[in-house]
Amino acid sequence: MVVRTQQQDFAEFYRSAADECLRTVAVSIGDQGTAQELVDEAFARAWASWRTVSRHPAPEAWVVRTALNAGISRWRRRRREVSVPDPARAADLPAASEASASQVDPQIMAALMRLPARQREVVALRLILDLDTARTAEVLGIAPGTVMAHMGRAMAALRLDLQPELQQENRS
Amino acid sequence: MNDNELSSLVRESVADIRSSTPVDQIISRGHAVRAWRRRVPAAAGALVMAGGAALGVTVLAPSGHPAPTAAGKAGSHPAVVGLAAWTVAKQANGDIDVTIKQFQHPAQLQATLRADGLPASVSFSGHPDSAVCQPYRNAGPNLNRSIYASFYLASNGSYFLTIHPSLLPSGVGLSITVEKIKVKGLSGPAVALRQVYASLQCTG
Repeated sequence: MVVRTQQQDFAEFYRSAADECLRTVAVSIGDQGTAQELVDEAFARAWASWRTVSRHPAPEAWVVRTALNAGISRWRRRRREVSVPDPARAADLPAASEASASQVDPQIMAALMRLPARQREVVALRLILDLDTARTAEVLGIAPGTVMAHMGRAMAALRLDLQPELQQENRS
Repeated sequence: MNDNELSSLVRESVADIRSSTPVDQIISRGHAVRAWRRRVPAAAGALVMAGGAALGVTVLAPSGHPAPTAAGKAGSHPAVVGLAAWTVAKQANGDIDVTIKQFQHPAQLQATLRADGLPASVSFSGHPDSAVCQPYRNAGPNLNRSIYASFYLASNGSYFLTIHPSLLPSGVGLSITVEKIKVKGLSGPAVALRQVYASLQCTG
């Protein structure tokens, strides 16, 4: 009976957090397919350690951190086998263009991909997962002041990058 | 455009991304992770009891399994073979689970993997001679994914990988090495796997 309750708790958590965790990781790494695999694995590990994870103050942050760590491990072993996407051409990548057809705004995704990886992670955690500065710092293992600095630079870069397109949209 | 408008724009741009994996599938995978975690400490416990086996390799014979004659002897070792440094467990379906805790005793690990039917070359002190072990040129990400179905670095620093020998193309083996890598300012060793052309000199 206890197991069943835990499973129900986990299922409820998964249903409420899976989409946002996936969006956060997808923006952080720039590949929705890989993000889905990493987030699935992270949720599986969360269920395997549910007694601990369920008591975490922000279990969704735990999942995202686990997924990003798994992504680094994956990168370590495949770094010689898979080419790294050129951020400047992110909009031309198959993953991005496929996503753009159905799910993600290609211009905004391309602008996000042009950000340095750390800034992109901060944007994803702050804006999509809605973590505060302290929790974001904890997840990324950096100082809160560094989070604020990354966030400020990222917002400035995005604004600069997206402004012309928005103006063009408004004109048309 | 102020910060709030920009934030909304970013949020809206990804609002249609939704997870497609059913929760049952996640829970099932979680059970497998739990089972794996239980198996590793159990093997470590048995290791203490069976310490001092020949060649420094401690052999863990599950009940009902024929006792091994010598670690690394082709076709003779039991389902689970382990050292303090690493553990190899061959599953009933032919998959091989490898846990590497310390980069030690590569020759015994190589012999154990070969005894499990995997053409393997293991070196923890640099790359094997490329003239002896030639990289398999047709390896691709999809093929790698099928071979390294489960590979992750645990929080305790152990490497876990599951190898599917049946998915290796004919005439292809695996090279397992250790490399120093640097990620985001942090440097350290990491396990590297490569597909290589199987040969007597390289993979046995």
